[in-house]
Amino acid sequence: MAYVATRGGERAIEQSERLFRSEMGAIDGARVQQVKESLPYLVDRVMGEASLYDEYLAALALAQTGGELYEAVLLLRAWRTTQPRLCVAAPVEQDRLFTHRRISAAFKDIPGGQVLGPTLDYAHRILATEVLQGETYEPAAVDPAETPTPAYHPGVSAWQAENDLVDLPEPDAVLGNDIPDLTREPLLFPSKRAHTLQSLARAETGGVLALGYAAMRGYGQAHPTVNELRLAEAEIEVKHPDGRSFSAGRVKVSQAEVVDKKGEKLGLGYAATFGWNEVKCIAAATLDLNSPGAEKGSPTEEEFFLYHTEGVESSGFCIHFKLPHYVTFQSSLDAMRDARAKKAAKPKPNVTEPAE
Amino acid sequence: MADTLGTLARADATRLKGFAETLIADLGQIDVLQSRTGLVMLPMRDTAKGVAFHMGEVLMSEAHIRKGDLDGYGMRRGHDLEASMAMALVDLALSAGVQVENCTAFCADEAKLLAEQDADTLRRIEATRVNMETF
Repeated sequence: MAYVATRGGERAIEQSERLFRSEMGAIDGARVQQVKESLPYLVDRVMGEASLYDEYLAALALAQTGGELYEAVLLLRAWRTTQPRLCVAAPVEQDRLFTHRRISAAFKDIPGGQVLGPTLDYAHRILATEVLQGETYEPAAVDPAETPTPAYHPGVSAWQAENDLVDLPEPDAVLGNDIPDLTREPLLFPSKRAHTLQSLARAETGGVLALGYAAMRGYGQAHPTVNELRLAEAEIEVKHPDGRSFSAGRVKVSQAEVVDKKGEKLGLGYAATFGWNEVKCIAAATLDLNSPGAEKGSPTEEEFFLYHTEGVESSGFCIHFKLPHYVTFQSSLDAMRDARAKKAAKPKPNVTEPAE
Repeated sequence: MADTLGTLARADATRLKGFAETLIADLGQIDVLQSRTGLVMLPMRDTAKGVAFHMGEVLMSEAHIRKGDLDGYGMRRGHDLEASMAMALVDLALSAGVQVENCTAFCADEAKLLAEQDADTLRRIEATRVNMETF
């Protein structure tokens, strides 16, 4: 591919950026705070795709880009490169998640029961247009229960393993800096499982949904049933210099397990991400469930879905087509003109008129 | 996990800074080894295959101080170097035997508040428990 250097756009470029930013106006701390408080699910989505957890930074990126999600994620991914890595925390275990929402579509009576948590699943989808007429939309307050729900729940798959429905492997002993890390090494195929799941955790929600949905509609090998879906808070377990472990705070995470029958047992697909984003997790877990043995070039084949759901790369590649392609395009035009000229120069065959 | 450190890491930042201020004079000379922001990579255990994978990085503030051969350490979420330093001061005071009663009382009060907040959250979640019947 060839590009051509052009001159003469400096002022236009500067003014175009000003024009973009003028729509958002001045950005201050109050606006960032407002974005953070009023759009928590959008902030979660951006943190997940950026694989950088800080609500204020994510809200700032959204404010600064006017909600242009690809730009917001790119800003955050770029910013993270300016920071040192302090350490790698201990792996978050499912049964240590401070759980806000936990449901199963596979079994109604899961150990610990089902709690819906925060969801619009059963809400009427009615736009509150009265707000535009000057009224205030005041959501009804939650009536809290007398007793708190348990914060921690066992995993559904662990319970299934006890009942010989799934085969669960022993936890892998790889920890800390030995865990494969896509931010420090390339994604190669066949992908290491840690790379696959990290890549899905960082993937662009819409891309994951599109390919996961293709698998759900039949362009895959397995039909997912949601074994367990959790929205929770995970502890960041780090070490004091004297060796004591402690939680340095919590972050919101989502996790989904989907199942399908595989012979006499159930096959499991898994995904998790930063923030509360259950659509992404269910779709990503569906891709994980479908990937073993998937046909090359199909939406459920690992290389296909991991490459095509990396939002920064895919959006970057897409928008690069706006850059001047004058040389390549002129070359195509030249070829067209040449073909046309050759056709025109060719002697016309002698066609005799039919007799009247 | 060490509960005191966990409490200090989640304690209210304004109260923590205010309390740590009261320790500075009694702590005397201390060395600041580190006061910075950075990222902590957070891995998660995949329940299907048992593999730990990286979900992403969390912005943290870290402080590491020393008095003699005793370490004080603070690590908290977000960008607040004063709060992580305040945590390190309380940690060091506890190790060095400085105002131990006050420090213990402060940590106990904060732990109680955090437990109340969690209980309040969990009561609101319990309200969404489904007791399903099938027909």
